[in-house]
Amino acid sequence: VWRVRESQSSVPELKIPNDATIRTLRNFLSVNTPFLQPETNAILRLHKNWAYMDPMALAITAAWGGWCLRNGKQVEVVGDPGPHTNYAARMRLFQHLDVGYTIPIKEHEEAGRFMPLRRVSTTAELSAVIGDVSALLHLDSEPDGLAAIRYCVSELVRNVLEHSQSPEGAYVCAQRYFDKEPKRVTIAVADCGIGIQGHLGRVYPQALTDGLAALRLAMQPGITGAQKGMYGAPDNAGAGLFITRAIAKATGGYFVLLSGSAAFRLKRCANSSEPQILIDPFEETESNRWKLGTEWKGTVAATEIMTDKISNFPGLFEWIRKQLPAQRTVSKRIRFV
Amino acid sequence: MTPVNIVLDAGPDGFNDDKDEAKRIRENTIIPTLAADDCVVLDFSEVKSSTQSFVHALVGEALQRFKEPALEKIQFKNCTPLMKGLVQLVVDYSLGGFRIEGHEPTEEGAVELQMPEPPRLRARPRRRLRK
Repeated sequence: VWRVRESQSSVPELKIPNDATIRTLRNFLSVNTPFLQPETNAILRLHKNWAYMDPMALAITAAWGGWCLRNGKQVEVVGDPGPHTNYAARMRLFQHLDVGYTIPIKEHEEAGRFMPLRRVSTTAELSAVIGDVSALLHLDSEPDGLAAIRYCVSELVRNVLEHSQSPEGAYVCAQRYFDKEPKRVTIAVADCGIGIQGHLGRVYPQALTDGLAALRLAMQPGITGAQKGMYGAPDNAGAGLFITRAIAKATGGYFVLLSGSAAFRLKRCANSSEPQILIDPFEETESNRWKLGTEWKGTVAATEIMTDKISNFPGLFEWIRKQLPAQRTVSKRIRFV
Repeated sequence: MTPVNIVLDAGPDGFNDDKDEAKRIRENTIIPTLAADDCVVLDFSEVKSSTQSFVHALVGEALQRFKEPALEKIQFKNCTPLMKGLVQLVVDYSLGGFRIEGHEPTEEGAVELQMPEPPRLRARPRRRLRK
């Protein structure tokens, strides 16, 4: 449903500014009250000169749409559809919101450009997405970059499937920017589940009461809500977000994690000759964090991989491994044959 | 006794991140074989890449349960450089833990986490407007 109507403060509403990206994340989230619960429909308000939503904004909006539909709220889109909304339509945002898109759009070939929004609620669907990453982003000429992207998509989506308790699962999409510098792929995964506080809070009480503390824990290796301990549970070690953050940092890209009342962003930075990933994300100088005015009911993770900076993914992974402070190094005794 | 040979599935384009499969192999084959004091060969010839989570789900519990002697009983065959890196990472932290300030493991591997105070958020300096 596309309408023109005035803003109502009591209605669950997601306003999209004219530039909704990782860079403008803070402003984007500060103007929204998406999770109000009155018996009304929900509104997606588009900026009249809407220029651009990046994968993070698209995944956030789609996950919110899933929450609305779960709670019996039809999404009304306020603002006129037009050329400025065609990109979101190609990314299948309106399809996920269950909103018809009446303007005929020229379907650009997906290959080489983007992976449209997908809802992933099973491991079989995740496997299909992993296959699409290869097929749609066309990174054949950058196999190590492709390996890094598949790695991050897998870890971020599995976090949602295993920990979020989101009935809809994860919303994931990606965009490859290959015609201007820096050449990169942005990946975003969002859900409206129990959030990091809900997950880690079962084991770490401070995570339950402090959103920033929860994010800080989640990004450190060896922390998992499955059980208290530094060795992880049989199915989880709690290192996925740490390694994903490390891959972003090694290539100089953004990494964003937001959940509940808190947000963290590792900023873009030029590669230094000896990059270092810090175990405590809050000690990263090129980062910022803040408390959200309105809580996000769930978790959003987004990362930017500068694909042309990865010529040797196994070597990058070796660098990550050496950044991890294992108490003892016993790997020399492994029997590789 | 002849070691139990397990050839892991390739997954899409040689990327296997199927933790459900890893869990099945762990519970049905790896743990029982090691418990019987026999050897396991994990053949990664089809798997070109994977994730730390997959390798952890495959062997993490076996390493934590049987400790360093398990390394004498498990062979990792046909690993790509990336798979070697993943295996080394999982082995190191499974047998050694992560050494993080404020996290002191007990003998059982559990920790009492003492979070240091997070650094205070700094106010943004105001931008000067150009006249």
